Amino acid sequence: MCTTELSNADVVTRTDKPSADRTLTRAPDPAAAELRKTMGDALVAVGKHRDEQAFALVFDYYAGRIKSFLMGKAMNEDTAEELTQEIMLTVWRRAESYDPKKAAASTWLFTIARNRRIDYLRGNSRIEVELDDEILEVETTENDPQARYVADSQSAATLEAALAKLPQEQRQVMHLSYFRGQSHGAIAKWLNLPVGTVKSRIRLAMQSVRKELQGETDALDRDDFLDSD
Amino acid sequence: MNVSHHLTDETLQDYACGSLAASMETLVACHLTVCAHCRLRSEAADQVGGVLLASAEKSAMRTSAGDVLAIRAARKPAVDPQPDAPTLQPGIPRPLARLLPKPVSQLDWRRVAPGIKQYDLGSEPRGKGAFKLLHLAPGLVLSDHSHIDRELTYVVQGCYTDEIGTFSTGDIADLDGNHAHRPVVSADAPCIALIATQSPVRYSGFFGRVMQRFVGI
Ligand SMILES: [Zn+2]
Repeated sequence: MCTTELSNADVVTRTDKPSADRTLTRAPDPAAAELRKTMGDALVAVGKHRDEQAFALVFDYYAGRIKSFLMGKAMNEDTAEELTQEIMLTVWRRAESYDPKKAAASTWLFTIARNRRIDYLRGNSRIEVELDDEILEVETTENDPQARYVADSQSAATLEAALAKLPQEQRQVMHLSYFRGQSHGAIAKWLNLPVGTVKSRIRLAMQSVRKELQGETDALDRDDFLDSD
Repeated sequence: MNVSHHLTDETLQDYACGSLAASMETLVACHLTVCAHCRLRSEAADQVGGVLLASAEKSAMRTSAGDVLAIRAARKPAVDPQPDAPTLQPGIPRPLARLLPKPVSQLDWRRVAPGIKQYDLGSEPRGKGAFKLLHLAPGLVLSDHSHIDRELTYVVQGCYTDEIGTFSTGDIADLDGNHAHRPVVSADAPCIALIATQSPVRYSGFFGRVMQRFVGI
């Protein structure tokens, strides 16, 4: 199985409070890079050729993980199984719109699973920016140092390494956010921490991630003024 | 549009992980429409979700890829719903424009206090917490108050100034914690602001407290 160290260790229970900072460092994982390419190629093959074997590859790797993701937000197993099937059907149907230059397969699959989870739990769709909106702001993109990583095929690898380097307490908060679908306020209650502590962990984690993606040492300073409230 | 006040990391992350109410998502999506910078930060947050998903522990599936394709073959082809053509409202991001039955100037504003009119967007199924447009008269001075709960404010038209700075069209005030504010609406034009608060019972945020004081909501 091809995973990073971000998996099981981050599933948190009440008794598993954050311990002292622990920083994991690791070499780039060639198997993970291979997997990213395989999944991206497979989605393209599904989109272009309705390739059922390629679909089976994506299904075998991601369906069980999407099911875990759904069960993370208090969804029972039967519901999660059914919803995973629906999500995989959506993947089959929408694969044509997948553009490997715009997003890693993992990002694309995550957004589909996340949006479907929101639909299901809330009964109405996630509100998103409409990219064909007449007033969509595009001009600053070229001048923005963060724009650099968006189309970068290395970004998933970089990001994976950046996340693995985060202190345990920051990774725990990231995991609770994404898998439990908890707001930072709810995480603070859950961990019995001040909201400010959780916010600062999220900010530090996101700043580290962006800094790695930008490959710029001054990225932290650059972002400070944005979030200075 | 010259945007200078942005979303915080924690709000972008809550948006990425799906823990915001639809009302708050609407404000986030409005700002993302006019702010390429935050849109990129939002994409980075989605990428984090992707990496976490790819590295998650697998749950056992009872169905296979073949089963799912068989389900598909047995069904009528599904079509993704296409959103209705949006009402064209110059300068209004579509996530908000979709909620407005007519142009902002012709909305059925309700006067709630001297210099303050509101248009409520908080009907079901969107609503937990307040979700409304506020129409603030030029030169209006709001009294001191502080943020406790989460509240987002998106400036649709006009501007106001407080201790943090001047908030103009496209800016978002994503503030909580304890801030003392004394916002003043620009003297030359009314300010129209979209606000959403987190909780249905407490209005302790920026405009929320003001509203509470004036109208007892
Ligand atoms: Zn912004």
